[in-house]
Amino acid sequence: MEEYTLTDATMKVIQDRRSIRDFTEEPISDKDLDMILEAARQAPSGENAQPWRFIIVKDEAMRKKMGAIAGGGSGRRFTAEFVTKKMQERFATLQDEAKRQAAFQKLTSGQVSTFMANAPINLVVCGKKDVWDTPYDTSAAIENILLMVTALGLGACWVIAPCIDIRDEERIKALLDIPEGYKAVSILSIGHPTRAHKPRPRLPINELVFTEKWGDPYYKKEQE
Amino acid sequence: MSDQTVTIDYANSLIYELQKAFWDERGKGARFRTTKVGNQYFEEKVRPLLQSTEIEDIIEKIGGVLQGEGIAANVSYSREERLLKIGVKGCIHRPVEERMVAKGIEPFTCVPANLIVLAIEEKLDVPVELAEIKVEEGTCQLLLVVFEKRPSLD
Repeated sequence: MEEYTLTDATMKVIQDRRSIRDFTEEPISDKDLDMILEAARQAPSGENAQPWRFIIVKDEAMRKKMGAIAGGGSGRRFTAEFVTKKMQERFATLQDEAKRQAAFQKLTSGQVSTFMANAPINLVVCGKKDVWDTPYDTSAAIENILLMVTALGLGACWVIAPCIDIRDEERIKALLDIPEGYKAVSILSIGHPTRAHKPRPRLPINELVFTEKWGDPYYKKEQE
Repeated sequence: MSDQTVTIDYANSLIYELQKAFWDERGKGARFRTTKVGNQYFEEKVRPLLQSTEIEDIIEKIGGVLQGEGIAANVSYSREERLLKIGVKGCIHRPVEERMVAKGIEPFTCVPANLIVLAIEEKLDVPVELAEIKVEEGTCQLLLVVFEKRPSLD
């Protein structure tokens, strides 16, 4: 096994994380799941409110229902983007027409989100409403989960599709008996990846960071 | 309950500020959190009147309610396959949308649109998505997508 310094290991986990949507049927071990949940529990939260609650969904029928809700929501939103031509503008730089059409089909059909039915585990992240910072707190817990998943050699995808529209969130809450005082924030589909994935492009860092005030780049040249 | 009323200018001013605050917090995602705004009005004023499962009848009924209540002067519609084009003329909430546009924000919520979506979803059990609100001279043009069927949970 390769050896890394703590710094290098941390950066490697961060850089190796991918959004995984294809999983084998191999289940997640209880030991791995314990590590994932402990990573979530250690996340920072405003006032140390720890507003997160998690539901582990393994039942296949339930996963299919969640996948259907997610796919329906994605399909509606992306179809709306397509009929208003905004999707075509977004993909304007993609020259390969076959790839463009495939992307449109995948998005407007909702297939982009239905994969979660095939993940061995769907981890539903809920956030208590009666605190100040639930969206931020739960997002920190989610990132901890994604990093631990990567460190364990597993794969995951952060799926917001079944929760972003209040109509779909109500369906998810009803399906899982989530009480009124909690919000269904996101669902993380976790499993063993079927294959390695290439990294998605990132904006150059000199476009992202300013010095002292907005506008003056901190990095004067593009960094590799 | 007090029978005191407030001016529409006051109400619209508050609605605008609430929408703007929501936009500032949630950006483009705000539209998906407001898809049921108008639900109580729908339940009290619209649902009891809905009999037909024909989309045209549903829109005419909602248009009648909005006219009768002085909320909109006229609601027109046309349909091209799955696209439903709705024109709302003389809406009392129009100043809200105009202020959003003036701030460079694409309007993201509309009560007449939500009433139509809620009604079609309930009567036909199919998903509907509000794709666009265009604020044009005197009329708001709404573009809705009516889907064939709801994804099965069975």
